[in-house]
Amino acid sequence: MRRAGMASNLQQDLFVDAPRTPPIGALEAMRLGNFREAIKLYKQLLKQQNLAEWREGLAQAYAARASQLAAKGMYEEAQIVLDNTAAPDGTVRDPLLYVQCLIKRGQHGKAAEHALKYVGTSKVPPAQASRLAEVTAALSLTAPWPSHAATEKHTERGRWFEQAMAARQALTAWLEGKPLAEIDDLLAHISLRSDFKAVRLILKALITGPLDPDRARQLMQAVPVQSPFAPLRLAVEAALSQPSLEFLASGIQSSGPQQAFVLQLHGLSDSGSHSLAELLKAESGGPSSLFTFLLKQAETKPGGELRSACLNLLPRLPDRLARFEKTFGPLSAFDKNRVLALAAEARQDWGGAGRHWSQAAQSLETLETPQARLQAGVIYRHLAELADRHEEVAGAGDDPAVTYLVRSRRSDPDHLPTVLKLVVKYRAARERENWDCLVEEALQRFPKTAAVLLHALEWARERKDLGRALDFAHELFALDPINASLRQGIIDLRILRARDMIQAKRFELALQELAEAKKVEQPQAPSVSLRLNEALLGLRLAQDTDAEVRLRAAMDLAGGGIPGWFLASLEDALMKGGGSGSFLRRELIAAQKVPPTKQAILCISAAADGEAARQHSALVARLIFRIRGWLLKGSGLDWSVKEFQPLAEILEGAEAYQVLGAYAKLGRKRDPDEPLWLLYWLMARTKGDRAKLSYREAMELAEHAAESENFHDVKLIGDFLDSGDDFEDPPATPSRMTEQILEMIDACLRGLPPEQIRQLVATSGKARAVKVVANRLKNSEVGEIFPAAAIRSLANEIVESVLSKRDMPRSLRELPPW
Amino acid sequence: MVTSDPFTTLGVDEHAGDEEIKRRYLALVRAFPPDRDPERFQRYRAAFEALSDERTRLEATLLQIHAAALSRLKQQLLASAKPFSARASKATVAALLSEGADQACSARGSTQERSAQT
Repeated sequence: MRRAGMASNLQQDLFVDAPRTPPIGALEAMRLGNFREAIKLYKQLLKQQNLAEWREGLAQAYAARASQLAAKGMYEEAQIVLDNTAAPDGTVRDPLLYVQCLIKRGQHGKAAEHALKYVGTSKVPPAQASRLAEVTAALSLTAPWPSHAATEKHTERGRWFEQAMAARQALTAWLEGKPLAEIDDLLAHISLRSDFKAVRLILKALITGPLDPDRARQLMQAVPVQSPFAPLRLAVEAALSQPSLEFLASGIQSSGPQQAFVLQLHGLSDSGSHSLAELLKAESGGPSSLFTFLLKQAETKPGGELRSACLNLLPRLPDRLARFEKTFGPLSAFDKNRVLALAAEARQDWGGAGRHWSQAAQSLETLETPQARLQAGVIYRHLAELADRHEEVAGAGDDPAVTYLVRSRRSDPDHLPTVLKLVVKYRAARERENWDCLVEEALQRFPKTAAVLLHALEWARERKDLGRALDFAHELFALDPINASLRQGIIDLRILRARDMIQAKRFELALQELAEAKKVEQPQAPSVSLRLNEALLGLRLAQDTDAEVRLRAAMDLAGGGIPGWFLASLEDALMKGGGSGSFLRRELIAAQKVPPTKQAILCISAAADGEAARQHSALVARLIFRIRGWLLKGSGLDWSVKEFQPLAEILEGAEAYQVLGAYAKLGRKRDPDEPLWLLYWLMARTKGDRAKLSYREAMELAEHAAESENFHDVKLIGDFLDSGDDFEDPPATPSRMTEQILEMIDACLRGLPPEQIRQLVATSGKARAVKVVANRLKNSEVGEIFPAAAIRSLANEIVESVLSKRDMPRSLRELPPW
Repeated sequence: MVTSDPFTTLGVDEHAGDEEIKRRYLALVRAFPPDRDPERFQRYRAAFEALSDERTRLEATLLQIHAAALSRLKQQLLASAKPFSARASKATVAALLSEGADQACSARGSTQERSAQT
């Protein structure tokens, strides 16, 4: 006890003599915005010593915490926290926030009462003084007149109350409809230097407005938009103009009182049942209240507008359909289905929406008027869109969207987007006959239409009808003569036709095609493929002495060096039966003396990725084979996997696995965590044959795919592993898969302990024991997964492992001791 | 509560034809040019595009819930307005002043004031 008393005294002494250390923890908590912690720390400090600066710190922490709570909409809690800062006279640390909390809680009287405490005092933080004065002025006009106001005369506070009384009297006079002159006299008592200046300006504007709206607007501009009188100012400004639908619409969303003010001033707010105010009130109550209001109106004053307004509310209130029909008479089959379809859409019942839209469209089809046909077309198009997005929307055929598009086209054959959508659908579904018919029809119905011509061009190219493709391309070019890719498209088509002529040994015609292509080419933007083909044909025909010079020029245009000769060789190979093969081969070999660069290699991969090259992959493979040594040298360059990807695809397509392996090996060294390097390495090792992957390799790859966040990588790996098109569920990791298999085997063999197997072997022979184990496995979950041969082999290994007292069969790393 | 729709935005009937819609749109654009009120212009433009073609007009009429009839009802009631024929109620003015006081208190948290308090 004595020791404890001594310690306490010592502690007190220490505190008395200790220098005032800054409360670091509390300050840090304040800095971090952890005001609750700051309050706790300051309270602890104050328990130790009641220092003024710590009291101040605690008050600051309370105020900051209250602000934090108010920002979250917790006004009651904020008010309670601020109460902790209250002085004996009831004033608090953050009066504006306190007043706001009271207003938010609907305690307007208390808010006014609290705000009035600060009038004529110096208890307001300087930064809040002017705003609080204005807020107090505004609130004082709404609250009952304070009883103590009369006693406070000849003081600053007393003078403030005099002004408040003047403002109150003027406002009351206006509200009570007193004559304008009387109000004007009262306004003269409000000083323009007082906090009630805005009241004087607004009331002056209100009495000036009917005679001189411009002057009234001018007066309004003197009331700042941050002022507490701003909403009243805006309401007066709105009242100066005739109220519009736009104002009513914005009023519903923003400020009800402003709207009410305008309606009252325009005499639109009498309490009669037909008033606009009543309608707006019903509207703000939601569709149900509006519907009831309109229906009531219709009972006394039936009209088409009321019916139409109610009809458009029905999709939100489908249960009121019967009530509607009772008042306005039965709906047509079309209207009823439309209402039900929109209602189904609103509740995301896509099956129901499809059914009702379909019935609505069918009821329109029976009408056979042009308007009804257009309406049916619109609804069928909508149905096609719904069917594309939601599987629940039923329809005939494999693709309901196609069925609906067909119906839409039948109802409205002049709607171009429907035709184009259908063309795309037929093309994707490989419905050749429908595609052919539709394109031909579209060409007739929508002649010289760019969108149709574009589709027709693609269609003709796919049919290998180069003549028609060229016609469409020229028609398109006439519509869009500055389209550079179209220009190149025409050149490419001419080159394709020239190749056909060369194969048919009709060299004159081939020259003609290239000459035609030349007419389209722009001299300032020469086409590499055209120049190469011209020179190559010249070389082949040996008529042109400049052909080699022109070939070299074209080759330079294609990038020179290996990329240039590669492209030239490719174009020559595409001509087939090339006469310049040996010359090009020599040049290609000679160019390989220059060491590879990334840019040159990427140029080659771009050349080998062209449309024609993709269609003749064997030719590309042959050319890649010729430059494989040069490409191998390029593997030492610092490739990122993204840069290498296009080349990898070319190498894989050309089956240049040695080159692919060399790049992948060095890539893996540089970036061992990159899954695609592993993929390319394994592709090279297995020569693209997934079946040659070991179980471990496949699992490692699957694991990488599962861990990768890049969908493209996952897809590439998935494609190689042939594990389905979609990777919705990540592939199981090897450990998980092995575990699952082992668990299955364990469960299956639980009733057959190793001793029993040994006994079986001893009594019936090994073959019999293997058969028993195999039968058990076959009849279990394992049998559903593995083929019979694998089951037999597994059973054999299990029996052998039991006999040799090994822990596990060779094919499995771990086997639980079942 | 009722969704704003192109008919209400342009202030035209759902049976209005191309000419009427175009005339109304041009009048609105003249009254509110894009350089003065770009947002309002965008609204008018979008509404005009939604109604400029017979088929899109049908889409707006058939596939959406529109408030054209309700707007016309409101318009009819608005037509009876008599400016400054009456005074506002005490409750409305009190509500406007309370709204203003609330807004002014909310602006209390501006950076400037907070730094001044600190």
